[in-house]
Amino acid sequence: MDRDARGFKVALVAGELLNPAGGEIDALAVLQEEDWGAVQLPAADYPDDVAAPLLEQVAEQAEEFARNGYTLAVVRGRAGLDEALARYGVAAPPAADPATADELRAFLAEVAG
Amino acid sequence: MPGVAFVAHCLLNQNSKTHGGARCPGVYSPLVEELRAAGWRIEQMPCPELAFTGLHRFWAVKEQLDTSAYRRHCRRIAAAVAGAIEVHVRRGDDVVLVGIEGSPSMGVHITSSDPERGGRPEWPDGSSELSRGSGIFMEEIAAELAERGIEAPRAMGISHQLPDHDAGAERARLRELMGAG
Repeated sequence: MDRDARGFKVALVAGELLNPAGGEIDALAVLQEEDWGAVQLPAADYPDDVAAPLLEQVAEQAEEFARNGYTLAVVRGRAGLDEALARYGVAAPPAADPATADELRAFLAEVAG
Repeated sequence: MPGVAFVAHCLLNQNSKTHGGARCPGVYSPLVEELRAAGWRIEQMPCPELAFTGLHRFWAVKEQLDTSAYRRHCRRIAAAVAGAIEVHVRRGDDVVLVGIEGSPSMGVHITSSDPERGGRPEWPDGSSELSRGSGIFMEEIAAELAERGIEAPRAMGISHQLPDHDAGAERARLRELMGAG
């Protein structure tokens, strides 16, 4: 297997934190600094019938990371995520809803061990 | 809002790449910097290859992935993404797609093709599979949007996989794409 630059750490992140506005933390900047990849959860402004199939895709992709031993974490999360993950046999990853960038850094460091 | 960019999954998560393909631990920053600087909203598309062929997949050309089952898988993802695109189009948002040039799935103007490739994996030095055309997922999302009566968004592909990659030119193309609405 070729080695490459991947970090083997993947955060499932609320869409709003990847497109921060009005005082939200910039999760993407923190993830980049801390060498995590991001899987974007459907934003809250999508209607349920639009968000549901996107959430299903998140769960299906998370399953592939989980079964290969990648570290997973949830940042803020979204309604229906745990249920979608359960349908793919993925246990709910550690989760947090940090209020500041420092809190997010501390959470990611704790999960990464 | 300036616009919404639907970007290839791996641009925010290099962990989804074929082994040997990740350029950085997680987030491919040049894309994010340009979109953020212009005030664009980022929407990540699912990686069609990740769940179908897995993290241990070989590098592949389009012909190796182009099965009815993979097309159905891509169409399922395309339907999910098209639903989100439709929300933005109905709101009057400017929408663009950002894929991955050279990818058998996410290529926009350049995919990879070799009708002879198959069997025991051998990649002779010097062989070139790059060819004009779109990847399978890009074809399927175009078809899905057409069925919904939505005009195909402007699109480009990130070129970091190509031998003649020019980071400055890539950023300029992205700025041009965002500014062309």
